[in-house]
Order: sequence, then C-alpha cells, then structure tokens
Amino acid sequence: MPSGVELIQSLVNGIGIGLIYGLIAIGFSVIYNASGIVNFAQGVFVMLGGMFAHTLLMRYGLPMWLSAILATLLTAVAGVLVQIFVINPMWRRNAPLFAIILATLAVQLLIEQIVILTLGDQPRTYPEFTAGGPLKIGAIAVPYQLFWILGCGALMVFALTQFFERTRMGRALRACAQNREAAALLGIPVERMLVVAFALSAALGGVAGILITPTQYTAYLIGTPFGINGFIAAIIGGFGSPVAGLVGGIFLGVIQSEAIVFFGAGFKNIVSLTLLLIVLLFFPKGLFGGLAKKT
Amino acid sequence: MTSPAITSAKPPATKFASRFDRFQVGLLGLAALAVVGTLIYGGYLLTVMQLAMIYGVFCIGLNFFMGYTGQASFGQNAFACIGGYGSAILCVQFGWEPLLALIASMVIAGIFALIIGYPTLRLRGHYLAMATFSLGLITYDISIQWTSVTQGYMGYAGIPPLGIGSFTVDSERWKLVVLAVILGFSFWLSLRMRDSRFGRGLRAISGSENGAAALGVRVPRFKLIAFIVAALYASAAGSLFAHTVGFISPEVYGPQMAVMTFTMLFVGGVGTIVGPIIGAVVTSLLQEVVRGSGHFQDIAYAVVLLATLIYAPKGLSALGALFRRKKEA
Repeated sequence: MPSGVELIQSLVNGIGIGLIYGLIAIGFSVIYNASGIVNFAQGVFVMLGGMFAHTLLMRYGLPMWLSAILATLLTAVAGVLVQIFVINPMWRRNAPLFAIILATLAVQLLIEQIVILTLGDQPRTYPEFTAGGPLKIGAIAVPYQLFWILGCGALMVFALTQFFERTRMGRALRACAQNREAAALLGIPVERMLVVAFALSAALGGVAGILITPTQYTAYLIGTPFGINGFIAAIIGGFGSPVAGLVGGIFLGVIQSEAIVFFGAGFKNIVSLTLLLIVLLFFPKGLFGGLAKKT
Repeated sequence: MTSPAITSAKPPATKFASRFDRFQVGLLGLAALAVVGTLIYGGYLLTVMQLAMIYGVFCIGLNFFMGYTGQASFGQNAFACIGGYGSAILCVQFGWEPLLALIASMVIAGIFALIIGYPTLRLRGHYLAMATFSLGLITYDISIQWTSVTQGYMGYAGIPPLGIGSFTVDSERWKLVVLAVILGFSFWLSLRMRDSRFGRGLRAISGSENGAAALGVRVPRFKLIAFIVAALYASAAGSLFAHTVGFISPEVYGPQMAVMTFTMLFVGGVGTIVGPIIGAVVTSLLQEVVRGSGHFQDIAYAVVLLATLIYAPKGLSALGALFRRKKEA
C-alpha cells in the first residue's frame, strides 16, 4: 500500500498534467461545437507548440516570453492550414464522418513526418519558466512550473469565457455550435468561423505544449498520447463549457497518476481508456453536465 | 440468419457480372493478374502480396461493419490481435495444429466481440469511433504489459505455417497461393452474406436506422452480428499473419494496423463489393513503391491518402461510375 506522501505527491503531479489535458480538451470542444468534427490530430498541436518554442528559444536565442507567443501564433497558423487544405475541401463535399476522422489521422502522420524532416527526431526540452524550485511543503515537492500551468490555464479559461460571451465573433461561434444552418441564414459566415475555431483550438494545444515541455520533453511522437488523453478529458467533461473541459482534464490527470502509484506506469493508459469506455457507456453526456446546459 | 418464419422473396437472380460493373470486374482481374505476376516474378514481392491477401481478408470483414452497415470501428485490430496471439500461443505453447488454432482463436474473438459489442454498439458517430479506437489501444497495451502470456515486446517466434496433418505449406509461392485461395473463399462468403436477408438488412441500416427498424429489421441485433462477422474476419487475418510470417509482436496489431486497414478500405472503396480486395492490393503495392523514396515515404503515403479522401471519397472501385457518367453526358 503506497504511503500518504506518495498519494499526495501523485495528486500534485496529476493536477499538473490534468490541466494540460484540460486545455487540449477545450481545443477539442471548440472545433467540435463549431463544426461537429472531432479533430483526432489535436495532439499534434501540443507537439508543435513545444517544438516551435524549443526551436525559437534554443536555435534563435529569443527570450522565453517572445518564443512562447510566437510559437502559439505559429501553431495557430498550422491549425488554419489544416482547416483550409484538408477539412474545408471535405466539408464542402459533404464527406462522411469517418472519412474526416481518417483524414485528421493522416494529417497527424503528415505533420509528424514533416517535423522529423525539418526539426529532427530527437526528444528535447527547455528549462522551466522560473528557475529554482521545487517548492517543498513537508515531503511534497511542487515544481514552480505547476504554478505557471495553473495560472495560464486559469487565464485561458477566463479569456475564452469572455470571448464566447462578450465578443461578436465568440457569439457567432456559439451560434454555429447550436445550429449551423440557422447561423448561416442569419448571415454568419460559417466556413470562416470554422477557420477561427481551428486557429483557436490549435493555439490552445500549442499553449498546452509550451507549458508542459519543461516538466517532461517534446518529440515528434508525443501527439498521439496527448491527443487521446485530451479527448478522454473532453468526454469526461462533456464538450460543453471551457470550465467543464478543464475539470474533466484534472479528473483524468489525477486518476491517471494515482493509477501509476497503484498499478505501475505500464497500466496508466489501460486505466484511462477503461475510464473512457465507462463514461461513454454510462454517462454519454459527460460526468459534469455537458451538452445539456450548453451556454 | 435463416429463420423459418420468414418468407422473404429471394433477391432477383443476378448473374455474376451484372452484380458488379465492368470496371470492378476489370479491377478484380488486375488484382488476380498481380498475384499471378508475383508468383512468376518471385522475390520480395511475394511477401508484399501475401500481406495484401491477409489484409484483404481483414478488410472484407471491416467492410461488413463499415461499408454495408455504415458504422465506424477503429478497433478491429483488437480482434486481429486476439487471433494472432491465440494462434501463436496455442501452436507454440501447446503444440496445436495451425488450422485448429486458427478456428479456436476465431471462436474466442467472436465471443469477445459479442461481449464487447453488446454495450458498445449503442454508441453512435464519434463516440462509437472513439470507443472502438480505445478498445484497439487497450488490447495493444495489454499485449505489451501482460508479459506472462504475450511475452511483451519479445513477441512469439517459430509459429508453424498453415497445413493439414503432415502436409505443411512451406514455400513462399505456395503460401501466396493458399492465401489467395482463402481470400477468394472469404470473398465468395461475403458475397453470399451480402445478398442474404441479413446483408440486405445491414444495407437498410446504413440508409436509415429508423427506416430499417420500421421495415422490421432488428437494428441492434443486426449491428451486433455485423460486428461479430467483422471480428471473425479480423481474427482469421490475425492468425493468417502469424502462420505466414512465423513471428508476431504487439506492433503488428497496434493502432497502425487500424489506420492502415482503414486506408485500404477507403482507397478501394468503402461499401463496394470488390473495394476491400482492391484497396488491400493497391495500398500494399503503393507502400512498397514509396518505400523506395527514402525519408518521404510516410509523407507520400499521407498525401496520397488525403488526396483520395478529398477527391475520390468513394475509392477506386467507384471510379467506373465516374467514367460512365462522363460517357453519357
């Protein structure tokens, strides 16, 4: 039986990784709500965020804050390119759902290979945003990066909520989420809204990647695990509001880290995928409300 | 699906050729030609075509669930995994006959499909896609972690080739011939099922679930049976892989397999009769062609796949209809 310290330590770790899953989950639901498409290549944006930030920071020697902003913007551009060159042509041709899912998987393969060719296949990392740490509370170690993740996560959720509630564009996106045809009839350019959704979603993934890279590493292949866990978080949270996505992510992150303590690292994916199946079968609208009370 | 109470009219008697258009027959002929050509030419192509035949069997099964019934399963590799490991363990550990092991594994996979499919198939759309995808991932992880049974990354080596009694199929050429015959048999079987009451029910479901239910099709049961049929085909393909290559490891049945077989089905034409076979052969050959171009192989592969999905979403088998329409116009 693991000790109390171990349990609390893994709880702290779980919250950190869970917030990252939450950000990815919000990315999923932004696209899903605007278009009804689940972008299975979402994890690729996490990888791109980390890789861009590393390249700008290490190869071009830019300061951290500038690298982070530029990397987020570049990832958003990648999202727009995916939308314009892959999703939009299929969307216009009324491609079946499964064809679009397969296409996003192909996009993931394509981007991963391009990254290998241009940036190399070596795993890489960069220092935490604030040097020093971890903060010691008794026997529990809290890395400073966790506070950055917490702060940025809260900031993103706040900004997104404001964006969806207050701005014209955010309201238009919500209109698309409720009824695309009616939104189009009201004069909302739905296709352009899809571009916005992809840019936003990619930027969210990029931020998640930039934040998580110092605590682990980034490499061309990290997209799939992050994408899948982000999707599970989105299912748990229930594709509804940004807050729900974040809560779903923390829930998943904590369960996963506790599972590592109890069963060993090899079983963490089995546990989270089993959790996904349970939620899908018994709580199809998510554990926390979800679609039913969409704002 | 023969029930005595049913007095359904037989489908209008169709000659072999009229069920396909000529273009599809031509494609099938080309595929057969590719097999014959490989038999004469020999060399590494034999292995490529052997795998194409195996994936063809897999895709025929997938086509039942995806093409005819219009459901999504990204997790059929789980059943191929059960088939492959079933064959490997029964033959290597317990010294069973390969054919017996193949059939036993199929039974196990079918039972698993029944147990898993019953709750899972209530889901729709993206949820079904993700649930099945995660089934494949769970099986993959288990095949890595459960080392006492699966030997983890080491995998199983020395799996005997197919055979009956003292007669075993050893030479690479004969393996291809046997696999082609098995593929032909699976194809014939799938044709029979497609035109049975069961198959017509499936196609009604893909048109409209409510419509099919109104016509008396038991939608959940038909979906489940289609899922099991697909699982049986997948398990057979997994076993055939084990017996043909003689070595299996978790990667063989990983998520890559799900994406690749999906690609085959889409390239060939999902929901068409000859699509699975054409897709398996063309995609296998294509992979070998781009493999020559070094680093760019996966990029070329992804680009071809995307182009197919965007510009020819119904796959190669439907191109015939395209030409015909142009002629009439």
